[in-house]
Amino acid sequence: MLKSSDSAVFDSIFKASQCLEASKGLRHTTGLDVEQREPEYSTHKPYSEDKSRLKMEEEEAEYDPEWEGGDYVCKYEYLDHTADVQLHSWGEDLKEAFEQCAVGMFGYMTEIETVEPLDTHEIEAEGDDMESLLYQFLDEWLFAFSAEPFFIARDVKIVEFDRENFKIKSVGYGETFDLSKHPQGTEVKAITYSAMQIHEEVETNDVYVVLDI
Amino acid sequence: MPENRSYNDELNFLDKIDANTWRIKKGFVPNMKVDGFFYVNDLLEKLMFDELRQHSRAAGFGGFLPAMKQIANVAALPGIVKKSVGLPDVHAGYGFAIGNLAAFDMSNPEAVVSPGGVGFDINCGVRLLRTNLDERDVQPVKDELAQAMFDHIPVGVGSKGVIPMGARDLEEALEMGVDWSLREGYAWAEDKEHCEEYGRMLNADQSAVGSKAKKRGLPQLGTLGAGNHYAEIQVVDEIFDDYASRRMGIDHKGQVVVMIHSGSRGFGHQVATDALVAMEKAMKRDKVLTNDRQLACARISSPEGQEYLKGMACAANFAWVNRSSMTFLSRQAFAKVFNTTPDDLDMQLIYDVSHNIAKMEEHMVDGKQTTLLVHRKGSTRAFPPHHPLIPVDYQLSGQPVLIGGTMGTCSYVLTGTEKGMEQTFGTTCHGAGRAWSRAKSRRNLDYQEVLDRLAEMGISIRVASPKLVMEEAPESYKNVTDVVNTCHAVGISKKAIKLRPIAVIKG
Repeated sequence: MLKSSDSAVFDSIFKASQCLEASKGLRHTTGLDVEQREPEYSTHKPYSEDKSRLKMEEEEAEYDPEWEGGDYVCKYEYLDHTADVQLHSWGEDLKEAFEQCAVGMFGYMTEIETVEPLDTHEIEAEGDDMESLLYQFLDEWLFAFSAEPFFIARDVKIVEFDRENFKIKSVGYGETFDLSKHPQGTEVKAITYSAMQIHEEVETNDVYVVLDI
Repeated sequence: MPENRSYNDELNFLDKIDANTWRIKKGFVPNMKVDGFFYVNDLLEKLMFDELRQHSRAAGFGGFLPAMKQIANVAALPGIVKKSVGLPDVHAGYGFAIGNLAAFDMSNPEAVVSPGGVGFDINCGVRLLRTNLDERDVQPVKDELAQAMFDHIPVGVGSKGVIPMGARDLEEALEMGVDWSLREGYAWAEDKEHCEEYGRMLNADQSAVGSKAKKRGLPQLGTLGAGNHYAEIQVVDEIFDDYASRRMGIDHKGQVVVMIHSGSRGFGHQVATDALVAMEKAMKRDKVLTNDRQLACARISSPEGQEYLKGMACAANFAWVNRSSMTFLSRQAFAKVFNTTPDDLDMQLIYDVSHNIAKMEEHMVDGKQTTLLVHRKGSTRAFPPHHPLIPVDYQLSGQPVLIGGTMGTCSYVLTGTEKGMEQTFGTTCHGAGRAWSRAKSRRNLDYQEVLDRLAEMGISIRVASPKLVMEEAPESYKNVTDVVNTCHAVGISKKAIKLRPIAVIKG
């Protein structure tokens, strides 16, 4: 049933004649002008001749570990899960394990060695307990990547870790995601509570998170 | 919860009813209100039981719940009607299994809505466009065509849409769905008729959606995404049901069609994420008990439940606008390569299905018409002939159901049946379903081998991410033919057309 308040419905009916005109126009065009894109991989181009791939390897060779931010440690790994990916990170303290977890997430989206720490981005997260804090922390970083400023981090630091009120302030060192520079990895859809584990009682402070991809 | 039950003890709760149907009896997990059912053939059955055996051996440590346990946990949710069903492509997911169906009685004040029963990718779905081209016309320009599609459609992580959009446009699109695309000239008037819900959920209310979701959604509208999403150029390989396929405008083997599989992108993911956080709190307040923390849910009548349903409807509309935008781009790509118009190529939409959604529907329960909230996660609506909600063109053949395969395997078009309406609330499978984990695929497969094999099969491929080549290889999935044949044998849907890919575009 149409309600008189549902102006959008009337709007669409009112504009029906206009839109038919518009769609007729586009129905009878013979294609748009678009730029050619290089696929990362395709069947008619062998790996060795894949220029985009070669370009990337050159960049890797130029990689300079003396960048601001220093040496990058890698204290995370990806574990088996049927549909998704389980991220396992660890550290000297829980703070480091959380930081590594965020870096691990970014690492799944691209080849993280190609990211340079040219810029910084800050996020704040808040939760009711450790699990929800970790969830919100990762969700904020995922959001920074998925919307303005499309930020991808090479390194993530937690500058304030309030364990009593479950609040985090964090800074990422990285840059704006650029398709011509960063190879596309897999898209992370969301963070999940699925099998989430935080083991503060052990020396390695292990953290497990399943990412929905 | 009896954590340490042995595998053999678990088997006491499972009961084979007929060649393809298993019943999960009450008691398999605590508080089951109804029985669980799942449909399999011999091969799929083995996969299901292997998963359960592994879980029993692990005795509750680590890992994740097998699909059978998840189906049973869903059967323990308040307000569930009749049964919790696992379709043949079922596998472990978040809360609900993927390939899980459950209906809740809207008139029961205890009944719940669960974002986990819809999934993070709200209104992920498949659409199929036909053309009047034959394989002979396309073979010589196949690579050119694949490249044109890849150039037109933004794919993969971090890609941005090409359809000009402002914040205002987005808000309108969220409430109008395909009507928005139609108004802006991206869709054809006939497209709307051939979408589930006519491409627009009327209860959408953009004010129920947070700004984070909108910000994530805006740049991603009109993008394919990554993971299992794809656009494929396919040819008709076999016609099982001549009448039904003629209704869809498919009249011979070798006819070329285009399949697009995508969803609501970051917008839907954020709507689901926000709802889960809100519902965790509501569950404590309303004392809703579930067996698994992942089954976050809220009473349908609660503010959180209502808010989610409105937001979910916005995400569903977003997904239809998204698929419409890519339809527009695909039509333009074809027009360009063949130097003609999409209209002259007869690029009509055959149908558009959603396989991650919850909908209010009327069903007969014990001979009485009842309004149900049907959660379909990784399962597709399949309404029978004469159902009032399917378009005029398909009134006599039944609703077309589009089943996407994976990179390099075939896809199917099925039609809905009366038996499906009785047994599964008008629902069937959605695709192949994963068999291997992504990590296992990457360890065991070599991407060059995968690509070579696809090239041998005559499939032209454009992929943005190297990891995906292995993760999405046919070996990683259950065999889609097994899945579809099981649905056909059980009678919940009927085979109409088999399609084979000749070009794949992926994130």
